[in-house]
Amino acid sequence: MKSGLTLLTFFVHILYLTGQETPTPPEGMVYVPAGEFIMGSTYGDPDERPRQIASTKAYFIDKYEVSNSEFAKFDPTFKFPPEKKNNAAVVTWSKADAYAKWAGKRLPTEKEWEKAARGIDGRVFPWGDTYDNTYVVWDQKETRGTSIAKPASPYGCYDMAGSVWEWTSDWYKPYPGNEVPMEQYGETYKVMRGGSNFNNHSFIRTSQRYYVLPEKIHVYPVGIRCVKDID
Amino acid sequence: MFKYSLLPLVSVFIFINHGLLAQKVNEFPKKTDPLYKKVEMFDRLMLGNHWNEGAIMQHVIFPPAGLERPIVGSQADCLDPTSEMLAAYSHKYAITGDPKDRKIANDIFEAILKLEKVTGVEGLVARSFNRTNEPLWHEEVFWYHEWHQSSSMPGYRWLGDLSADKFTSIFYGVGTFWELCADDEYKKKAAGLLDRFIGRVVDNNFKLTDLDGKMTLWGNFCPNLPHQELNSLEMLAALKVTHHITGKERYNAAYHMLIDRYHYDDHQINSKILFPKEWRNVGDDYHAARSLYMIMRLETDPNLLNKYRMNLNRHWYDWKDLEFTWESNIWFLMVYKVLTGEDIFTEEKKQGIKDMWGFERNTREFKIPQKDGSFKLVRSEEERTAAAMIRNYWFGRYYGIIDEKW
Repeated sequence: MKSGLTLLTFFVHILYLTGQETPTPPEGMVYVPAGEFIMGSTYGDPDERPRQIASTKAYFIDKYEVSNSEFAKFDPTFKFPPEKKNNAAVVTWSKADAYAKWAGKRLPTEKEWEKAARGIDGRVFPWGDTYDNTYVVWDQKETRGTSIAKPASPYGCYDMAGSVWEWTSDWYKPYPGNEVPMEQYGETYKVMRGGSNFNNHSFIRTSQRYYVLPEKIHVYPVGIRCVKDID
Repeated sequence: MFKYSLLPLVSVFIFINHGLLAQKVNEFPKKTDPLYKKVEMFDRLMLGNHWNEGAIMQHVIFPPAGLERPIVGSQADCLDPTSEMLAAYSHKYAITGDPKDRKIANDIFEAILKLEKVTGVEGLVARSFNRTNEPLWHEEVFWYHEWHQSSSMPGYRWLGDLSADKFTSIFYGVGTFWELCADDEYKKKAAGLLDRFIGRVVDNNFKLTDLDGKMTLWGNFCPNLPHQELNSLEMLAALKVTHHITGKERYNAAYHMLIDRYHYDDHQINSKILFPKEWRNVGDDYHAARSLYMIMRLETDPNLLNKYRMNLNRHWYDWKDLEFTWESNIWFLMVYKVLTGEDIFTEEKKQGIKDMWGFERNTREFKIPQKDGSFKLVRSEEERTAAAMIRNYWFGRYYGIIDEKW
């Protein structure tokens, strides 16, 4: 497994260096190339297993979470304090989905979200394997992208660890090969990713999954990061 | 259970529920009353109105919004007042030696055992429970989707997703009960509970895991995962207490593994975030204070004691200037005095102790969800908790900080 992963990393770098043409992303988005990546973990919750090689097509993904003022362009009835116009919007799944469609985009699948957050090398956090408090927007007074060190994910996304949780389009289901019984598996809960300042630090790991009722988020701060297909 | 049925009450409401007779205590102290009288009267209010089969409710909403009995309220933090009242009665019993005080402490401890039994999983402790077959209206209004119907105790529902701060409530409350109040039979029960509860966390690589096997939202003490410095302190304190009480070497081994291999002793020093100043969190300080109180009285290694003292000093940097606006603030200073022996109680601070207060009964409208998806507005009375005040009083009395004549 380990040697396979090393080879995968090597070939992706070679392809990159030999000059694949990169499509120009729309404003506010970054490009994620097609290909395989390491998904899941061996050390996290049981639902993150098995660690696996997954793959995606190429896609664009928002650089930042959707802000309050951005969401209000879609829904003028959406209320927020003026000083929080740049903070991430917190909305239910159906509103997030509707926003994404209105913007000509869609919510990411779990695979797309995880690949955008950790790249191909299976890293624990978007910036690497070592935790640093200053890399995360913890305080709700801070806005998107204002963590001190501002490390981006391998493809240039910000705040994929912390800030608000982010919706995915997927129902909470077991990964292929996962045999851990979970009564929540099925089509009742949607998966949110990325952790938030509301919860503990380890929930900002790139492979962490959490389930939530799509229309009853209660105290969970869940926001939006959209993707766009490449024609 | 209802020990004050003969007390002179301004008014009494009687509700029949599951064969139990519940009486609403309505008599409040005056702000000008001496401290001992205020404590006595808030104690009656807490035991009379907040008692849920031994567990102490943090928030009580009275009928009609409280349904047929006055115990429906937000329940996520019930283990805090439950452990505070358990500690309060343990300290009180240590002073009075009165079997009635010990009986109340025993009953509260039994409720913590019930919080484990209701989950049906050994060592898995619920945040709270309710005797009901149907979901109650407040379940999802005041918390998220973590209520379960009990399979081990038919007719009960319980709230999961235990957190690090409730974990602290358990080892602090049960540890104090074991130390000051429990007889031989209850010492064994207390040791058994901590063995199962802390043992389950150790077995899950220092994570609080829920019924679904996932780590709870605030249940991370794991050496392989990033976690708050405060959690390192809480885990070390829990292991120290559990080793002391059970005598089992595995807890001592776990304690030293976390120190020797993962440096929790260094990590915990920064439990208190001092800067940026707006990140200071007195709520977290409460968990640190309980942990330091338990661990510093048991640790004998001077090097480790020094590191815990460094942690305490960082807290003191903030605590020394705190205003007595919250009962737990007052307790921080008592803990500091007990652990250091420093005479820090100025006349002003002594007056702050004498002025301690519990809660007012308020009336407000509750938006109660209906089965058809609509909401009904119901006006009801509600009460918060005075458990911290009562615990502070008996703690202060036990350590000679509070004079019985105050």
